Amino acid sequence: MENNGVESALKVLEKQLNKPLITALEVCARCGICAESCHYYVSEPSLKHVPAWRAEQLRKIYRKKYNLFAKLFPKIFGGKELDEKTLEELSEMAFSECTLCRRCTFNCPLGVDTPLIMKTLRAMAVAGGKAPEMLTMLADSAIEKGKNPEFFKELFLQQIKELEKELQKIVGDPDAKIPVGKKGARVLYVALAGAHTIIPPAIIFYAVKENWTLSLYEAANYGVFLGDTERAKLIAKRIIDEAKELGVQEVVIAECGHACAALVWEAPNWFKEKFPFRMRNIVELIAEYVEKGLLKLDKSKNPEPITYHDSCNLARTSGIFREPRIVLNAVAENFIEMNPHGIENYCCGGGGGLVALPEYEEKRLKAGKPKAEQIRRTGAKIVCAACENCRLQINDLNSNYNLNVKVVSLAELVVNAIVIDRKKKFKEERAEERVSLR
Amino acid sequence: MDFLSITKLIASLSLIFSISLILYQWISLLKKPKVMDYSAPKGSSLKGIIYAFTLGMAPWTKESTRKHWILYLRGILFHIGIFSALFLFILRILLNYTPHLILFPLALFACIGALMGLAGILLRILERNLREISNFDDHLSLWLVSIFLFLVVLSSISSPFTPYMFIFSSLMLLYVPFSKIRHFLYFFFSRIFFGIHIGKRGILRKLEVIHGK
Repeated sequence: MENNGVESALKVLEKQLNKPLITALEVCARCGICAESCHYYVSEPSLKHVPAWRAEQLRKIYRKKYNLFAKLFPKIFGGKELDEKTLEELSEMAFSECTLCRRCTFNCPLGVDTPLIMKTLRAMAVAGGKAPEMLTMLADSAIEKGKNPEFFKELFLQQIKELEKELQKIVGDPDAKIPVGKKGARVLYVALAGAHTIIPPAIIFYAVKENWTLSLYEAANYGVFLGDTERAKLIAKRIIDEAKELGVQEVVIAECGHACAALVWEAPNWFKEKFPFRMRNIVELIAEYVEKGLLKLDKSKNPEPITYHDSCNLARTSGIFREPRIVLNAVAENFIEMNPHGIENYCCGGGGGLVALPEYEEKRLKAGKPKAEQIRRTGAKIVCAACENCRLQINDLNSNYNLNVKVVSLAELVVNAIVIDRKKKFKEERAEERVSLR
Repeated sequence: MDFLSITKLIASLSLIFSISLILYQWISLLKKPKVMDYSAPKGSSLKGIIYAFTLGMAPWTKESTRKHWILYLRGILFHIGIFSALFLFILRILLNYTPHLILFPLALFACIGALMGLAGILLRILERNLREISNFDDHLSLWLVSIFLFLVVLSSISSPFTPYMFIFSSLMLLYVPFSKIRHFLYFFFSRIFFGIHIGKRGILRKLEVIHGK
């Protein structure tokens, strides 16, 4: 029984040994220059927080299996046999000591893809039965939902009807809709669980008269956090199938870093298919609305100093860092950049699924210290983050480090600044007013 | 055959052996199935690759090399020294002499490289992180390459050193395909993959938003 887990893990390693992974395992010069690029190391300069050290733990296993000298003289040439105890240690490290943020890769003179090595370790952990239960449970429940959509659809539609009333009240239009299952819509918007990811985009779509429909499913993909391609694929399939069935032109993903990275960059490869629709993050769509002048915006509605946290999955993984700034410059009176920002931004510490794992709360709060210090140095009162997990983490950092900031999504800031002329009926009931969510 | 010719022959055979094994590893890697990428591009992979091998290697483009530019410079000079020494070594095998016009600058770079190698050896012993993440192969590889550089320089200055340079080089070359030294082979793949990432995902064309002060 013990060996089965180890054997399964080693089979996963063998299966995943493609060009990029072999390259990542072989190319490291162990120069150590990656250390300070890692937020874990910056918050606590210990050896186990050096990205090269973490990756070396899998390299030892790899060398023992595939390198002649390491097979013959493992202690000398850095080889190590994988056993149950080691698999457990590696699993703990992969899920709690790396957020897959890619900052090390971008700072490495060789470009070593350490996140790829960590994802491989996660996949090995899943195969060896060592993955965190919470992530597995969340992934499996999403898969079940996809298998039986009719089961929850009725309840979902009822909830959406309630949100629709809220939308109508806010925009002052009794005909405003949150369409679900609308065939021929241009945009299929995939929200996250929670009205806060539905209402603000619905207001924006209303303001630009977008032809859109809301997905039945959430964008979050816990299969990605597990490094489990099979689970990730099943979760993504629900959305892909829905988009195809509705014949939409594009799938727009909520403000969520990993969901965007998964659907835009990984899902086509899981399915080995170029999808018949475009896929992008809502931040990119809003930026397009702003650039085309489709939104009437009043910056003075966001007067407080605002800073922006670049989510790793949006910036370093998906190349989305110009678009949020296009939007922020249009909706914020006082936008202050963090230092560093863009693709050099520090991870908030909550990525890679960590915010969903209560057993690692202390670690992630500690690892988030560099981000907390960045925020504090800006003097901002509001932190905008276009990623749900980042917002959850930064909210926790806010409490833990007494930052005294409010954490908001980009859509919330936009909605705050939108100028909508409310319908005459509502105008008679109140004086013409600017729409605000606050 | 005199001593010099024998050692030259051994060095030549070692070089052929080393190149053959490295080529075999390269071909084995190339033979791995191509990883197809079906995602829609936001930019040019080719431009990303070009960038990764040119400006992307410049010290100001990464926080790590901006902060640690001395270490970065040490690494650059070390590798320039290696290429210079290898070139001199091959010339000594193919020709009985090295033209002075080439000999002096190459020997100078090899000498600087050797000193940078020595600096690297000391760093790997004295600096905690480097010491802990290094294994015996890391240390041995650095010693072998650094001594090789010194011997190439010595043999350039004084011919009696040449046979010993050939013997030592043979040992190093026999070790290369099994050691950390072969990471140079994977360097090209690593930069290509990185280049594809930043090019295809549109990161490259937005370099105006990279970092703070």
